Amino acid sequence: MNRHPSAHPGHRSRRGLVAALLADDGSRPWAAAAADRVGTVLAPLPGLARLGFTAAAAAVDGYALLRTGRRLDALPAAERERVLAALAGAPAPLWDAVKVPVILAARTELMLHHRPHPSATPVPPADPPLDCVPSAEWPDRAVADAVVVGSGAGGATAARTLARAGLRVVVVEEGRHHTTAEFAARTPLERFTDLYRDGGATVLAGRPPVLLPTGRAVGGTTVVNAGTCYRTPDRVLERWRRRHGLVDLADPDAFGARLDEVERLLQVATQPLDVLGRGGLLALAGAAKLGWQAGPLRRNAPGCRGSTQCVTGCPTGAKQSVQLSVLPDACAAGARIVTSARVTRILTDPDRPGGPRAAGIAARRPDGTAFEILSPLVVVAAGALRSPALLNRSGLGRHPATGRNLAVHPATSVAGRFAEPVADGPAVLQSAGVEELHHEGILIEATAPPPGMSSFVLPGLGRELRAELEAADHLATLGAMIADRPGGRVLARGPVLPLYRLDPQDGRTLLRAVAAMGELLFAAGADEVLTGLPRHPRVRDTAELHGALADATADELHLSAFHPSGTIALGADPRTAPADPDGWLRGVRGVLVADASALPSCPEVNPQLTIMALALAVSERAADHRP
Amino acid sequence: MSPRGTAFSETMLGTVHLAEESQARPVRLDLRVRADRLVLPHRTTHARLVGRVRIWGLADDARATGELEISPVARRRIRYRLEFDVHGRRHTLLGWKSITPGRPLRSMTRLPYTLTDEDGRDLGHGVLRFPLATGLVPFLAGWRFPRQSRRDDDGSRWDGAAGRTEVWYTTLTDPSDGTGVWLHHELVAPTDGSPPRVHGWVALFPPAGPVEHARYGPLPWPADPPHSTPVDPSVPGERRLRGTAGPYSWDLTERPTGKPLYTFPRWAWRHGVLPAAQMLPAATSRYAGTLTGPGGVLHLDGAPGASARIYGHGNARRWAWLHADLGGGDVLEVVAAVSTRPLLRRLPPLVFLRLRRGGRTWPRRALRPAVGLLGLDRFRAELGLPTWSVTGRAGLRRLRVTVHQPEARTLAMEYTDPDGSRAVCRNSEAADAEVVLERWWGRWRDEARWVLDGTAHAEVGDR
Repeated sequence: MNRHPSAHPGHRSRRGLVAALLADDGSRPWAAAAADRVGTVLAPLPGLARLGFTAAAAAVDGYALLRTGRRLDALPAAERERVLAALAGAPAPLWDAVKVPVILAARTELMLHHRPHPSATPVPPADPPLDCVPSAEWPDRAVADAVVVGSGAGGATAARTLARAGLRVVVVEEGRHHTTAEFAARTPLERFTDLYRDGGATVLAGRPPVLLPTGRAVGGTTVVNAGTCYRTPDRVLERWRRRHGLVDLADPDAFGARLDEVERLLQVATQPLDVLGRGGLLALAGAAKLGWQAGPLRRNAPGCRGSTQCVTGCPTGAKQSVQLSVLPDACAAGARIVTSARVTRILTDPDRPGGPRAAGIAARRPDGTAFEILSPLVVVAAGALRSPALLNRSGLGRHPATGRNLAVHPATSVAGRFAEPVADGPAVLQSAGVEELHHEGILIEATAPPPGMSSFVLPGLGRELRAELEAADHLATLGAMIADRPGGRVLARGPVLPLYRLDPQDGRTLLRAVAAMGELLFAAGADEVLTGLPRHPRVRDTAELHGALADATADELHLSAFHPSGTIALGADPRTAPADPDGWLRGVRGVLVADASALPSCPEVNPQLTIMALALAVSERAADHRP
Repeated sequence: MSPRGTAFSETMLGTVHLAEESQARPVRLDLRVRADRLVLPHRTTHARLVGRVRIWGLADDARATGELEISPVARRRIRYRLEFDVHGRRHTLLGWKSITPGRPLRSMTRLPYTLTDEDGRDLGHGVLRFPLATGLVPFLAGWRFPRQSRRDDDGSRWDGAAGRTEVWYTTLTDPSDGTGVWLHHELVAPTDGSPPRVHGWVALFPPAGPVEHARYGPLPWPADPPHSTPVDPSVPGERRLRGTAGPYSWDLTERPTGKPLYTFPRWAWRHGVLPAAQMLPAATSRYAGTLTGPGGVLHLDGAPGASARIYGHGNARRWAWLHADLGGGDVLEVVAAVSTRPLLRRLPPLVFLRLRRGGRTWPRRALRPAVGLLGLDRFRAELGLPTWSVTGRAGLRRLRVTVHQPEARTLAMEYTDPDGSRAVCRNSEAADAEVVLERWWGRWRDEARWVLDGTAHAEVGDR
């Protein structure tokens, strides 16, 4: 039964705010529908984020009441516009935080109103079989030879290796199993809120706060990444050998062989141009004009149809996420996957001769009931944010470097407006890479947003924002990520709260990246470039761009971050590295680190292959030398 | 191995959800747990499980066996693994209580488990609970800490200290003709610090007399051959006795048939706090082999007897000793002695008496006969020759022992203490004894009576 929206005071403020932001004057049915859609966007977010949005809506509503004597949703459109104009001077990050869910909701509604059946994709092929058991059906007590915590890139690879070595492997995954058929049947936004931790609103607290989306499903973040597969650069391996003492593991030949195996598993190949999309072609054209080194990216998506929905789960089954490529192998070798189970603790036997030793894991089901699996080998692969927190909860995070050394790829995006529509036809979400500035730590990748899901924060409020939304098909988006200096940590106690401080040098690099992307877009023929800077949201030529950037700081950019790593770094020096060069956690026997947290430093490229090759290396050794 | 083990029983009730069955079946476990060491909560103890597993309509196996890992604090886990038969197929119940400090009662009584078949396939799962309301009192009352046999009782006690004596002796009776045999092997470490020496003798007590004996030594320590050596060092128990003394030589095998018997309190034997203490590594043994002497060869096969050890400062001022094999594994061991120490020498003989009957030892406390209840109601000994006796009461039982050592079957030997003082011992391995055990049931009634005709081993000593 639907309650009248105005029955709830917070609900009413929200409707008023959405109507004001989208200048809903009744002429656009999608704008009215967006108010309800915002609710579904907000629902999976953390309580604090929802409260923030509700508070912002209440503040704007209260201001309208004081100023006009009427609440926002009762005002005529023109009056609402004036209220917003009066408030436009509020700090830009505040407005951005409010606008992001509204833009997401509005674009989904726009898409549904213009293309009511976005899932007109052909029936996808059946997924390879997995032995998934929902935690509700899993017994309270079980034993295994190895328990793998997390089924992402690292966990899946470790599970496959150990299962093929003859161990009884149980993978414990917090998310659930999503099939390709399920992806094909739902809108990207619906999938988005389901597939990401915290509804995609995981935030690195600090200055500036940075959004860091991570996946939560069987397959981990590989279900929702763009499928871009870069091999680990030699200079990174060289650094790991020299500075971190990973002499054997980071040997170029040995690591290269493992990268080859992972590439074979994932069917990595250069993306063909046919479905690259106009955004990607424009980026390549711009790079060609500037003489920059660029090309289509190498991806793990043979037969990609360009549905541009990688980040909400590939609806055609083309992208070889690990639940389609690696985990089926593991299950064929006997591994079992327990889904919807959150590992609360690694169990240890402190009184074993020779020191404490892993004994298994304790986990919780969604209904709060607990279960345990005993196993002499526990593979930690819960991701760089969650793995150190798990160790801390288990009393295994005593090494001072556990949770520190958090490296991410801070990223920002820039959009160029072109005369022709850009978003027509198939496109690859991350299509072309511009590596001209990679030596400076900048990697530019042409991105196409999933239908109805642009992450780019369009400028303006009210009518201006509505116009931008309606013209968004003409925007080509470029994203740049930079190799940062490790500046983050995951707090040792309490809730999982990653902290991050952007290094000033990294801030300058980000602004340099914005300039480069602007130049690239203008070279490709953009009429104007949306910079994301609040003071100069639009620039019309290169000179204006550089002028706008001259007095800008990185704090003003819309930052997000990807690829967290390094929080349980491998290293030869026991004082600085919580895990040894073979991946074993120090201070306890039987705990193997096999995910992004094991990377000693930023891999400088999209890290899936690196994580998998590293997990392959440590788990192969673990299978040979069981604890 | 710790001196005490742990034994208790536990009953758990619950259900099992078998795969492919919609209804849960009731399950009951009746388990007996036995550990070789004391269960200490902060340690991890591994124990053996035996008991009965009942699954309604499916299984009832009274001979289930398994293991238990008890570690409520260190590992926060009490883990059960139980194997039992279901229609001839082996099934395994594996589960553990996961101890949560915040909910000690619930977590200590709840046992989730998984049931697997012999190929490791999951058959079902369930939860068993300890019934606190009805089970707690029997559970707590059922805890026992039985003593463990110690291997070090097989070894030599002497640690090089001066002023000590250690005796290993064996007495046995040839069942064919009633000849008593006494093999005595003694280490004396003189008080003045002179080198320790080993000496001993063998004595034969034919029923018709006369007693024959021969001495050997003194020899330097350690003696070659020793009193006895283990047949297989890795297997405790069976020993081989070989030696020569004058015209005698012997080669015997000793097979223990009883548990150790501590005539004195165990702590007194372990820590040497009394002037001397005696114990039997096995309360009864059987001997086989040959003993050759001038009168011919004695062939022994299954001869009853026992070996004993004495360790201390020397002989008592006056003493009497009896080892009576009562048959059927029952045995009575008595030492009544007056100490040489000042003050103590004024006391009447202190009696140390142990009756092993049906596997149980009476009185339960070894000190009970000697010190009584706060000094009252001690056992009494009337020492003398040819007859001496011991009487005493403990609990609802009383015992009277009368020993007769005919002079023709008694051998007098002189002992030398580490301090040089001498004592005379009159020993008979073919003594007569009468043992009467009574129980109070409205009045004293005979419970058991044994008469040993020439098969008791006894001696009386004085100075």
